[in-house]
Amino acid sequence: MRRRRQNESGYYKHDLYKPAKSPTWWLRNNKYFLFMMRELSSAVIALFLLLYLYECFLLSKGEAVYNAFQASLRTPKFVVFYIIVFVFAVYHSITWFGVIGRVQVVRFGKLTVPPALVTASAFVGWAVVTVVLGLYLME
Amino acid sequence: MSEQTIALRITRFNPQEDTEPTLQKFEVPYHDDWVVLDALNHVKEQMDGTLSYRWSCRMGVCGSCGMMVNGIPKLTCATFLRDYYPHEIRIEPLANFSVVRDLVIELDDFVGRIQAVKPWLIREEEPSIDQQGEYLQTPEELKEYKQFSNCINCALCYSACPVFGPDSEFLGPAALALAHRYNMDSRDHGEDQRKEVVGSEEGIWNCTFVGECSTVCPKEVDPAAAIQRTKVATTSAWFKSVLMPWGKP
Repeated sequence: MRRRRQNESGYYKHDLYKPAKSPTWWLRNNKYFLFMMRELSSAVIALFLLLYLYECFLLSKGEAVYNAFQASLRTPKFVVFYIIVFVFAVYHSITWFGVIGRVQVVRFGKLTVPPALVTASAFVGWAVVTVVLGLYLME
Repeated sequence: MSEQTIALRITRFNPQEDTEPTLQKFEVPYHDDWVVLDALNHVKEQMDGTLSYRWSCRMGVCGSCGMMVNGIPKLTCATFLRDYYPHEIRIEPLANFSVVRDLVIELDDFVGRIQAVKPWLIREEEPSIDQQGEYLQTPEELKEYKQFSNCINCALCYSACPVFGPDSEFLGPAALALAHRYNMDSRDHGEDQRKEVVGSEEGIWNCTFVGECSTVCPKEVDPAAAIQRTKVATTSAWFKSVLMPWGKP
């Protein structure tokens, strides 16, 4: 028979079974998996941003250096990397804008904007900014 | 015609004999109007009186009968056998909690976390009812916090939260939703008293917004939203205090 121990409060407490968390807990259901993918997307986007910052830095070294580096990125490996970054960036953005209505309460005076409208506005704003930036960059 | 039955696999753990839980199989009668709790009561009354579990109201109000049903936190009084029949049902104690015996979990830590956020009305001054009467509130003011006041402390959200665990310091979804509920109450003046614990690393900042707490809530409370709104409010208050220090009381 296992002994019961006395806790700090002075009363006897049962021996408890403490379940250990499995390292694969995030594979237990779909929602946990999608959450982990959202977290992972931050790391992938961070990698892309580091590369982008390095490119910005190379601009200060002159056009030839910058163009040479740009040319070195035109390989199948980097195309795959960009596709992965794009997919993760879109996924991260969708999950981000998708919860805005729940997180941010928007009020105009006494009127509270319905959460669905806040979310829809965020998606419309994202689409507009994307199109405007796209048109600007294609000029 | 023989009686229809359904198989239950139930966690058994006797702290005086076992080092870890095991699953025991019971074959119980199947009725399409039975909930999982009815099946557990049948096991206890007809098959094995040593089975231990908590229950009380049988109507989704007391929050006592939360368990893992096929790996998902559920109130067993509101989970029908017909949704699983003819397949076997696995019934385990709520995940992320220490187990006292069979399906009974240890709730002292959970209650301590709830108490830590002072989930009651705190007034700057407490005039007597004779002087002022009851605290008045408009329907609009009630609407600000009403959904967060539906929490029945069933702990399903803690069971669904991957950040929380037996050794975690995280205050958890229900406690933080309750803090938000009182902070949003027009009759309450206790936000500053709750700020230290709610705004700590063990409070809102430990939440990574998985959102599963809100999914499993049987009362449709949205603890995940409450926590994120508190993050926004806390961050705004911090920026205001830095940018406009003269605005502080």
